[in-house]
Amino acid sequence: MWQWFFRLGSPKWFYEMSGKWLPWLLVLMTVLMSVGIFWALLFVPQDYQQGDTIRIMYVHVPVASISLACFPLMAVAGVITLVWKMKLADMVAKCAAPIGAWFTAVALATGAIWGQPIWGTWWAWDARLTSMLIQFFLLIGVIALRSAIESPDAAAKACALLAIVGAINVPIIKYSVEWWNTLHQPASDFSMDENSAFGPEIWVPLVIMIFAVYLFFVISLILSTRNEILQRERRSQWVMDIVANEKV
Amino acid sequence: MKPHRRKKLTIIAFIATGLGIAIGLSLYALSNAIDLFFTPSQIAAGEVNNGQRIRIGGMVKEGSVEKSQDSLHVEFIATDYSHDLRVRYDGILPDLFREGQGVVAEGMVANGVFEASRVLAKHDENYMSVEVKAALDAAERERSLPVMATEGGPSGT
Repeated sequence: MWQWFFRLGSPKWFYEMSGKWLPWLLVLMTVLMSVGIFWALLFVPQDYQQGDTIRIMYVHVPVASISLACFPLMAVAGVITLVWKMKLADMVAKCAAPIGAWFTAVALATGAIWGQPIWGTWWAWDARLTSMLIQFFLLIGVIALRSAIESPDAAAKACALLAIVGAINVPIIKYSVEWWNTLHQPASDFSMDENSAFGPEIWVPLVIMIFAVYLFFVISLILSTRNEILQRERRSQWVMDIVANEKV
Repeated sequence: MKPHRRKKLTIIAFIATGLGIAIGLSLYALSNAIDLFFTPSQIAAGEVNNGQRIRIGGMVKEGSVEKSQDSLHVEFIATDYSHDLRVRYDGILPDLFREGQGVVAEGMVANGVFEASRVLAKHDENYMSVEVKAALDAAERERSLPVMATEGGPSGT
């Protein structure tokens, strides 16, 4: 019953499968990203309060929501590393940390750029903004911890534990706007009926951008993990075969 | 699952739940400090000392904004629909500041009035294109016109 699970954890299997998926994912992302960006920047109507500033949302919301998905991913990988000692899980966790840190930084930066004209300030120490900043520091901490410990096995264990502990911050970020009063607005109602916080001319491009940025994250993670696999498995026969074939 | 793995998983689950409960409780205890602003009701209940630097938040009450003609001085009422708080401010208001809009002000309470040193606008979670807003406003006007006529309000265009 557990066999498929362990096969999934084999770096060789992952390397071969991801090599087959990558071109398709790349095509899909390029299409979605270009449609989404052009739609958001050129064709989305101005907001009645924000004017053109609403276009920042099309980068900020996807990037921020995906940066929230990164920590749970690292925590799950951490549990697998600690319990099943699967090498691939640790490679994914290692590669996800810097990507997640970049996404968090971009979410913070775009938020500040939006906040200046709308709120009248770049930054406020409200619960949403502060918990997001803590996530950024936690990710920097994971990266630093990994490079501070020399033994790869010990580093994997320590980082897995930090990822599991740090994932507690994710629900805090998500619900901060409901639990406390904050300057940041709560999440918009995304339902299809008349309760919806925005009409289709505003949310359709947003959904496209969310999918596009999700794919961008997945592709970055796959590319980075493939590098990590080649690096760590460089002494195994199948990697030597690949290298020998590439040289010809 | 093998016994040693199950044991490890249980330990991790225990650590995660324990830590989650600990953090949850401390955040709950700290919630007053985490809140970015006090509401007018909290001010009315006397939760804040005179002269203490705080932030307050609420909605700008309709029809309450009084702007000075020859200076940047502005007064308005911030409300949470159960209590009101008069706010005085000398400075530039953010573009989004208007009646019926959320607002966060920094300053201190003095004699029941809030002396603000900074005013921020709070954006709500609703987005609407200029066209849709104009159409909604037109529909609103159409509905309210007959009412105004019966009230004997100003007629004509």
